[in-house]
Amino acid sequence: MQRPATGDTAFERFVLPEIEVLLRVANSLTRNHAEAEDLVQDTLIRAYRGIDGFDGRHPRAWLLTILRNTHINRNRRRRPELLRDPDAAFDRLAAAPSDDEADATVDHELDVEIVRALDELDDRFRRVIELVDVDGLSYAEAAEVLAVPVGTVMSRLHRARSRIRDRLDRAGLAPRSHM
Amino acid sequence: MPGNHVKAWIMKLFGRAPATDAMDCHEVGALLQHYLDGHIDAERARRIEEHLDDCRRCGMEAETYERIKVTLAAHRPEVPPESVERLRAFGERLARGEDPSTP
Ligand SMILES: [Zn+2]
Repeated sequence: MQRPATGDTAFERFVLPEIEVLLRVANSLTRNHAEAEDLVQDTLIRAYRGIDGFDGRHPRAWLLTILRNTHINRNRRRRPELLRDPDAAFDRLAAAPSDDEADATVDHELDVEIVRALDELDDRFRRVIELVDVDGLSYAEAAEVLAVPVGTVMSRLHRARSRIRDRLDRAGLAPRSHM
Repeated sequence: MPGNHVKAWIMKLFGRAPATDAMDCHEVGALLQHYLDGHIDAERARRIEEHLDDCRRCGMEAETYERIKVTLAAHRPEVPPESVERLRAFGERLARGEDPSTP
């Protein structure tokens, strides 16, 4: 199956530009860099095998579907001990160098609280926030990754955000109206 | 659209039909997330902004959600550039029909 090295195969045109997005999403799914890289590698192999049947429309959505299926298959083959580390995101943030300004301290406190709130969400709510707000996917793309309807992505997203908001409120960190 | 029809009817029932094209708190609340995600047409966005400027409570609400969204986006974890590089090289070898695992 020799292909011309012209730099203009469908695979090069549709797949290579999406590698970074794929890796981002893989990181969200696996929460482990090495694992994520392996997952994207497997996804690339599957995409390469399937490229002849791909119609060229919505390459990102097509690739995200492959990524999701690959992820499911890989998980089936392994022990479920690779659970996410709930403190990872928080540690990363807490370790961020703090600024001298008082404003920055308040901001930092708010940021920490937001990320904590994210980590404490149920998986199905946290995932959708990570994909849309953190990874920057559209509703439709997130729906591909999660294999749920777009409407479900929206309702989970909105509920997840309002839970984070409520938590800020309880911590006295949400802006309040004084009416 | 039947949804709009029902909404108009409910608003009429509760005597909250807006006199102008201004939106009320309920309408803005229902659309706020779509607005913040940029999934709304310019005309409705304008009407929402009008309300957010006038209504302190909704304005605060919008500000909080915006803050959450911005913070989450700002803390997007780095994808290691060397990881992207390795995967790109892997993909390029695949595209050339070479064995991708041996650089
Ligand atoms: Zn209002």
